[in-house]
Amino acid sequence: MGQEFAEIARFLGSAAPFNLLGEEVLARISRQVTITYFPAGETVLSAGEINNRLMIVRSGAVELRLAGEELTARLEPGSAFAYPSILRGGEVRNTAIAMEDTLLYQLSGALFLKLRKDHKRFREYFVEDEADRIRHALRRRESGAQGMFDTTQVDSLLRRSGPVVCSPQQTIREAAQIMRERDVSTLAVCDDTGLVGILSDKDLRNRVVAAGVSGDHAVREVMTPRPKTLPTDASVAEAMALMAAGGFRHVPLIAADGALAGVISSSDILAFLGSNAIDAGLAIARADSPAALVAAAARIPESFVRMEHQGLGPAHIMRFVSALGEAAHRRAAQLAEAELGKPPVPYALVVFGSLAREEQLVGSDQDNGLVIDDTMAEGDAAYFAQLGGRISDLLNDCGFVYCNGGIMAKEAAQRLTAGEWQRRYTDWIERPDEDKILRATIFFDMSCVHGEAALVDSLRENVLQRAAASSIFASYLARDAQRSKVPLGFFRNLVLESTADGEKVFDVKAQAVMPVIDIARTTALAHGISAVGTADRLDAIVRAGKMASGDAQSLKDAMVLVNDLRIRHQAQLLAAGKAPENAIAPATLSPLERDHLKDAFAVIRGALDSLRRNLAGGIA
Amino acid sequence: MFARLRFAHDLRRLGKAEEPVLARYAAAEWPEAGTPVRDAPLLALDFELDGLKRGAHLLQAGWTRFTPRAIPLEHAQVHDIRSNAALDRQAVTIHGIGGQRASEGARLREVIAALIADLAGRVLVAHGASIEVEALQGAAKALYGARLPIRSICTLMLERHLAPNLAGDGAYRLGAARARYGLPAYDAHDALGDAIAAAELLMAQLTRMPRDTTLGRLEALG
Repeated sequence: MGQEFAEIARFLGSAAPFNLLGEEVLARISRQVTITYFPAGETVLSAGEINNRLMIVRSGAVELRLAGEELTARLEPGSAFAYPSILRGGEVRNTAIAMEDTLLYQLSGALFLKLRKDHKRFREYFVEDEADRIRHALRRRESGAQGMFDTTQVDSLLRRSGPVVCSPQQTIREAAQIMRERDVSTLAVCDDTGLVGILSDKDLRNRVVAAGVSGDHAVREVMTPRPKTLPTDASVAEAMALMAAGGFRHVPLIAADGALAGVISSSDILAFLGSNAIDAGLAIARADSPAALVAAAARIPESFVRMEHQGLGPAHIMRFVSALGEAAHRRAAQLAEAELGKPPVPYALVVFGSLAREEQLVGSDQDNGLVIDDTMAEGDAAYFAQLGGRISDLLNDCGFVYCNGGIMAKEAAQRLTAGEWQRRYTDWIERPDEDKILRATIFFDMSCVHGEAALVDSLRENVLQRAAASSIFASYLARDAQRSKVPLGFFRNLVLESTADGEKVFDVKAQAVMPVIDIARTTALAHGISAVGTADRLDAIVRAGKMASGDAQSLKDAMVLVNDLRIRHQAQLLAAGKAPENAIAPATLSPLERDHLKDAFAVIRGALDSLRRNLAGGIA
Repeated sequence: MFARLRFAHDLRRLGKAEEPVLARYAAAEWPEAGTPVRDAPLLALDFELDGLKRGAHLLQAGWTRFTPRAIPLEHAQVHDIRSNAALDRQAVTIHGIGGQRASEGARLREVIAALIADLAGRVLVAHGASIEVEALQGAAKALYGARLPIRSICTLMLERHLAPNLAGDGAYRLGAARARYGLPAYDAHDALGDAIAAAELLMAQLTRMPRDTTLGRLEALG
């Protein structure tokens, strides 16, 4: 008896999370499907109804309308819905309406619960709330990045020129001379039988100089004998584990024919993890001319792409890129000062927005200003005008293009004395209006990158105190945050924007990242929290007892998820020689990515709602 | 009207048959012609045949019981049918069911008995239903020497009724008709797949008709 329901099994096998189940299970499930059809406009499920069926869109489209709100999510073929009511054992919360003629596959609640019980990945997909689901996805992603260390062969990190060796009979002095000549920090010590030990800089320091041993002694007496070795085809992860476990920094690698291939050091592995960024940072800090600075800053995008390829997490990448940006800003100011002479009074170069939060990616424009000491004389303004202009011009050449909104040291409005800045902030805080707040939020993420940090510190302290004391200010911020249009899902036409050539895209920065930043900033300012980075702010908010730690964790997870997507998108653009931007076409996402994104959106929307309830109420 | 009398008459005659599956068929509870279709017990059927000529052999049968509200696949069945007949080469190429597989199929008698048992008290639904009706009646005649009365709804005739002015016969093929209701394209020529496809088409067609459309009205279309 052939019982293949091939068509249905094949469809389920293409839809998350059923694609996680084996063929045999799919064949079995295909026989338990019930098919229903709803013409466009017909209600599939009404809020309040009792439901015990899992629904899967086979063709057409279904819209979920969240109870009591104008918000809608559009479900396309392959999307499952109505499971929360099964998990809760009852009432449906969202009304579901067929937006097109729709064919639905239904599975009984009992079967759904059994699949959940029997298959871990399936269960993880359907965990009750979106936040948990993101957490599971992140864990899998992290283990994927870990995989890179497992699959990279350790000998690929060796420098090309073969091992540098000495014999155990040579004197310590001779060995040190070899190390100096060949510019290495470690020698492999070999006799006729092969490798017998290693001698490192550290051995010379600890066992020779510090111990008062003469350089005439033989290497044999001070080397580390019989070092642990690894075959050349071992993984980077094995080498890391060996070093960590043994507490040593060097591991000789032995080729298949028994010959010494080289000695790998912990710094080689560190280099593998992110040397490029460190090198670029050094080049920026050492740039001795505007041209050198521009050349060094041009390496930032490449460092970014490399870090992405190496599987570094979004938080690390953003921190590295921000560190490079900060270095470029500092160096630009130093070079400008070198051209124009010493400043007449102390000042600080302050940055705003993503760079201040240490959340910058490549391609950001510049947002900065000068905080000048109140002792500035009238005649000093010309110097700072020149200085600000020079800094902005240099940064523009470095790829931190001029700010559209004029938030840069080039503009007189952003070159104020500490007292003038203070009055400006006070006006925003104590006499807010919608328009002012719209343009001012970026100023509330600030950080000093060069000059007299105390100027910025005292300004920030004062701002924090006033902000925390003004509930009207917090309510304006909370309301401003509500402007972001966080999608519910991937509407074909509604929430997405059109690019110049008409493609439907969503703006991952404006529609997903900014709302989280706004939530963290608003809550932090409302409670006088001084942290600037979004994750730091959320942590501090939890410590202050102003947000449940689970909610903060969910927001952080959502942020990691969307930033991860954004970073991958931008790295691809950069690698293809295109300018990085934030517009993502849903069609380019995998079904699983779309599902995770939908979850992230749900978490962010929920947090925006709480923000509105908690803080936006101060406005009449 | 005449068809209904004829069905009742044939059913009474079948009631005297000794074959238990036929006797049960005759004794089943049959839906009234005035029953709203949406609540009617139906059975979507598709046969794959070894040719398009009358008297062609059955290669595969797929069917599922349903009502226009929902198609539960729990009791759906699909069977390859053993046949020693020489296969019409062309048809075999289309259906992808070769002689080897056909000879391994279930015996025709078992399959037809299972089908008649499921069809008892139900109205047959197929796209071009006359083919399934005639093939099933032919098989019943050969196996039991009895005339099997069958009630049927033809989704093709219904489609001609709902969309009368389309150009060309191609527009009324199963796939083309389904596309007009937003139904997905299926891999054709698997008996169960085609049976389900016809059942889905009927569900969709009914959403374009008055809610109280009766079974008798659809049966009368052909």
